[in-house]
This record gives sequence, C-alpha cells and structure tokens, in this order.
Amino acid sequence: MRTKRRIVVIDDDEWLVDTYTHTLAKAGYEVARAANALEAVQVIDTFQPDVIILDIFMPGPNGVALLHELQSYPDLARIPVIVVTNAARDIRHGALTPYGVQAVLDKTAMTPEDILLAVKRVML
Amino acid sequence: MQGSYSEKRAVGNDIPGSQIPALVAAAHELKSPLALVRQLSLALQTGDYSPKEIDALAERITLTSERALRLTNDLTRAARLEDSFFSLEPLNPHTMLEEVADELAPLYRAKGRRIVVSPRRYGLLAVANHDLLRRVLMNFADNALHYSGSQQPVTLGVTARPKQGTIRLGVRDYGPAVPADIWKRSLQPGTEHAWHMRPESSGLGVSIARQFAEYMGGQVGVTRHQDGATFYVDIAASMQMRLL
Repeated sequence: MRTKRRIVVIDDDEWLVDTYTHTLAKAGYEVARAANALEAVQVIDTFQPDVIILDIFMPGPNGVALLHELQSYPDLARIPVIVVTNAARDIRHGALTPYGVQAVLDKTAMTPEDILLAVKRVML
Repeated sequence: MQGSYSEKRAVGNDIPGSQIPALVAAAHELKSPLALVRQLSLALQTGDYSPKEIDALAERITLTSERALRLTNDLTRAARLEDSFFSLEPLNPHTMLEEVADELAPLYRAKGRRIVVSPRRYGLLAVANHDLLRRVLMNFADNALHYSGSQQPVTLGVTARPKQGTIRLGVRDYGPAVPADIWKRSLQPGTEHAWHMRPESSGLGVSIARQFAEYMGGQVGVTRHQDGATFYVDIAASMQMRLL
C-alpha cells in the first residue's frame, strides 16, 4: 500500500531536477529521477509513478522518443505526463496530447509553484 | 530621442540575413543556462532551503553564469576573428590541458563529476594561439560534462602524430555516442542552418571550436566510441623539438 503519490522526473540537467525534487518532496510526493530516456524506461518500470515530468531535449533519444516508447505499453501509456521544456513556445497546443501529455510548462517562465500546481491538476 | 531610435534601426539593419541562423542558435544555447539561473534564483527565494543548501544553490548560480559567459565570450571572439590578430607561439600542450582541467574542476566537482589529465612522460611542443586553443579545449571539456555519466572521469590527453607533423589534444567523455549525421552536420562549413534544429547544446560550440582551430591552421574532429566520444583538435607540432 503506497502512502505517497509517486513522480518520476526525467531531465538531463541534474541541478534543475534537484530543485523540482526539493519542491515535490516538500509537498509530500515520492520522487525518482532519470537523466535520459533510456534510464527513464527502467525507472518508470520499477517505480510505477503516478505522474511523469519530462524534459524534451536530452542527450541520446529525446523526450518525444520516450513518449512514443511509453505509448507502446498500455499500462505506461496511461500515466499522465507533464512536459517541462525550454522550447514550450515551439510546441503547438495539443500536439503532444495523443502521447499522454496533459500539461506543458515553459522552463524559462515557470516558478517552483507552477510544477506543483501542474502535478495536482493532472492527478485530479 | 529620435536620433537614438534611428541608431537602433540602423544597428538592426546591419545584421545580414546569413547571420540570423547563428543568432538563433546562440539564443538557443544561452536559453538553458539562463533558465537554470532563473530557476535556482527562484528556489533561493522560496526560503525552503537550509544554510548549506543555500550555499550550494549560490555556487550553482555562479558556475552556471560563468558557463553562459564563456559562451558569450566565444561568440564575440568568433565574430571578430577576421579583424583580430592572434599570434601563434610554441606552447606546452600538456600544460594547457592542465590549465583547462584546473579551471573546470569546480564545475565538474559541483556536478559530481571528475576531470583528469592523462600523464605523459615526454614533453611535446605545439604551435598555436594560447587563447584560441584554450577556448577550443574549454568548449570540448564543457561539452563533455554535459554528455558524461558520473562513473568515469572525463580525460584530457595529448598525443604526437609525427607523420602528420601535428599534435592531437583530445577530450574523452563517457556518455551517449554522437549520432553521425548530427556530427557531420555541425562540422560542415556553411551548414549552420542546421544548428537551430539541434536539440542538444553542442552544435554551436563545436562550430565555434572549428573556426578557432582553422584560424590556427588546425582542425577539429571526433572519434566515436561505443561508450562516448573523443573530441580532438589537431595543431601543428613545433619544429623546435627537432632541434633538441
């Protein structure tokens, strides 16, 4: 029986992940992290998160490749995804919805509070 | 006031269309460190951190700002390359690698990584411009940090290539291999339009490194490994060594 909701943060910038993790853990979430898409598949598989927070541009296969991969597993495809990226303005509204993306946050404009609000919203 | 408005328009009109992709690439490259500095600053403002954590956040802001400044300095230098005079001089490449490793050590340490210089028994002498060569190597080593895992240290090394009359200074990282198409695209002169399509942060830096190397009569390249890559710069070996 889980006592905390689980979140996986996937981003190659470990210092950004540290700030997200700090904010989310303080709000009572259990957080796991992955630095790239390949590592993420394993972490998601074992951690079974309730929400995925995903960067798009990472070394190796990018976030979009991971979204495609997740869609090929029915159980993982159901996990809501929040995309957090520097290129949020280049993503057409709704373009990633078919891949389970329920929110897109702009790294250049968001606040720590925004990530909490987005998590709460997609968990409703 | 009207005068200053005209001046601004004139400056804007001076930017040739061919430079716009490079400007876009530069903006893209700077976005990541600036966004990170902003997030770290916002984290500091929350008041949720212990004194030790606050120190760590402040150090990260400093190191990230320095990284962004290195890029802006390289961009400025690259834009003025033709108008400047850079003298070539004999220099010890191993000492140069140690300088680069020393300068980047705090950033590597803060990221939980290591940077080392391969020991070398015999000294070599290269002919290069100290500032430009240092920038090329800083660029590669900075890039290696981004692409490396924490298990293996990024390793700087120098080898003589007697047949070619050159010396190779390499930066070996251990991370995802560079896709061949991306590498070719980022190195071909005149294909800078591809930079803005590159998601990762190496394209512009590598292209600038190439410009600096070519200005010294050298060249840059990469050896791809299964577990990473070695980015290198080949520069002329000093003939003075033959006199010894």
